[in-house]
Amino acid sequence: MSAGEIFLGIFAGVQVTLAVALYALLFAVPFALIFGILQYLSRGYARFAVTAAIEFWRSSSAIVLLFVFFYVLPFVGLPLGPYTVAAMVLGLNMGGYGSQVVRGALAALDRGQLEAARALGMSRFQALVTVELPQAFRQMLPTFINELVELIKLTALVSLITLADPTFRAKQIFQITYQPAVIYTCLLLIYFMLGYPIARVGKRLERRFAKASVVPK
Amino acid sequence: MKFDFAFALSILPELTRASFLALAIALVSSLLASVLGFLLELTRRTGPVADHAITFAIDSVRVTPLIVQLYFVFFVLPYWGIVLPALVVGIGCLTIHYSSYLAEVFKAGLDAIPRELLDAAKALGLRPWLTNLLIILPLVLRNSIPAMGNYFLSILKATPYLSLIAVNELLGTAFEFASDTFRYYEPFAILGAFFLGYSLLIAAAVRRVERYFMRSLGQMRR
Repeated sequence: MSAGEIFLGIFAGVQVTLAVALYALLFAVPFALIFGILQYLSRGYARFAVTAAIEFWRSSSAIVLLFVFFYVLPFVGLPLGPYTVAAMVLGLNMGGYGSQVVRGALAALDRGQLEAARALGMSRFQALVTVELPQAFRQMLPTFINELVELIKLTALVSLITLADPTFRAKQIFQITYQPAVIYTCLLLIYFMLGYPIARVGKRLERRFAKASVVPK
Repeated sequence: MKFDFAFALSILPELTRASFLALAIALVSSLLASVLGFLLELTRRTGPVADHAITFAIDSVRVTPLIVQLYFVFFVLPYWGIVLPALVVGIGCLTIHYSSYLAEVFKAGLDAIPRELLDAAKALGLRPWLTNLLIILPLVLRNSIPAMGNYFLSILKATPYLSLIAVNELLGTAFEFASDTFRYYEPFAILGAFFLGYSLLIAAAVRRVERYFMRSLGQMRR
C-alpha cells in the first residue's frame, strides 16, 4: 500500500471520531452545567451527594470505565452498544471535568455581583441566570474549548471497544501490511490535524479574555 | 452472579503485585515528567527560536492521544531496529506526554514570580544556575504544587493504558483473571479499590507537601 492509500484508509475513520465526540458532548455539556451549578449552590449533605456523583465520573480512568461498561455489564444482563457506551462514558468523564470548570468560574466571580443582584430584588434563580452565569460563561469558554481537544483524544479509546475509528483502522492496516512507521505517522498526523486548530482557537480566546477581564475587583 | 470472597482472596496477591507496579510506574513517570517539564520551560525562555520550537513541540504532544503515542513508539522503534522493553516505552511515553502539560504549569508558576526577586538575585551576584536552583525552583514549586498534584493523579489514571503494550499492570492483570475464569466482579472490584486507595494516598501526600511549602516560605510573603 502506498503512503497516500494508508493515510486515506485511516482518515476514513475520522467520521467515527467526530460522531463519538458529538454524542459524548450531548452527555458532557448538560452534566457539566447541571452538576457544576448544583455543586456551587448546594450545601451540606446535598453537596456531598453531588460531589460523589461528579467524582465517580471524573476520578475514574476513562479506559477502565469503558472496559467495565462494555465487557462487564453484559454479564449482569445490561448489554449496551459500543456507541452508547462510548458516548456515555467519555461524555460523563469529560462532563465531570467540565463541572469543575463551571463551579470554579462561578466561585471566582466577585461576591458583590450576587449581593447587588439580590439587593435589587432579584430571586436567587434570577441572579444566577441573568447576572452570574453570563459572566461565568466568558471565563469558561477557553477552558471548554481546550477540553474539546481532550475529548477528541479520549475518542481514540473507542478503538478498544470495536468502533472503527482512525486508531482501529491503523491497527487493521498494520496487520495487513507491516509498515508501522508510515501507518503510525499518518495516525499521529490525523489527530494533530483534528486537535491543533482547536487548541489554537482555545489559546487565542484565553489571551483575549485575560486582557478583557481587567474589571476592578 | 455473587461476589465470591474465596476467589477474590485467591487473586489478591497477584493483583497487589500488579498494583505496586502501577504505583511505581506512576511515581517514576511523575518525577521524570516534572524534571523534563521544568527543563522544557526553562529552555523555552532562552530566546524566541527556542520558544517557538518548544511551544510547537509541546502543543503537538498535547493534541495527540497518549494511546497513539504508545503504539507509535512501541511498534515503530523495533521496525527501525531499536528494541526497548515495554515498561521503558510506557514510562517514556507517560513522561513525555505529561511533561508537556507540566511545562505549562511551570510557565504559570514562573510568570507569577515577582521580578524584584530576580533583580535582587542578580544584584547579589548569584550565578544564573544558582538563581534557578535557590530562588526560582522553590518559588515555582510552591506556585505549582496543586496543579502538579492533579497531573500526578492523571498519570496514575493513565497507567492502565500500558496494558495495551503488554505491561502487566492492574488493568491487564485484572482482565487476564476475568477472561480466564469469566468472573468479572472480583478482579474489577479489587482494581477499583486499589485505584481509589492510591488516588487518595497521592492526594493526601500532595496536600502535605503543599502545606509544607506554604509554611516554610510563608514568612517571605510579607
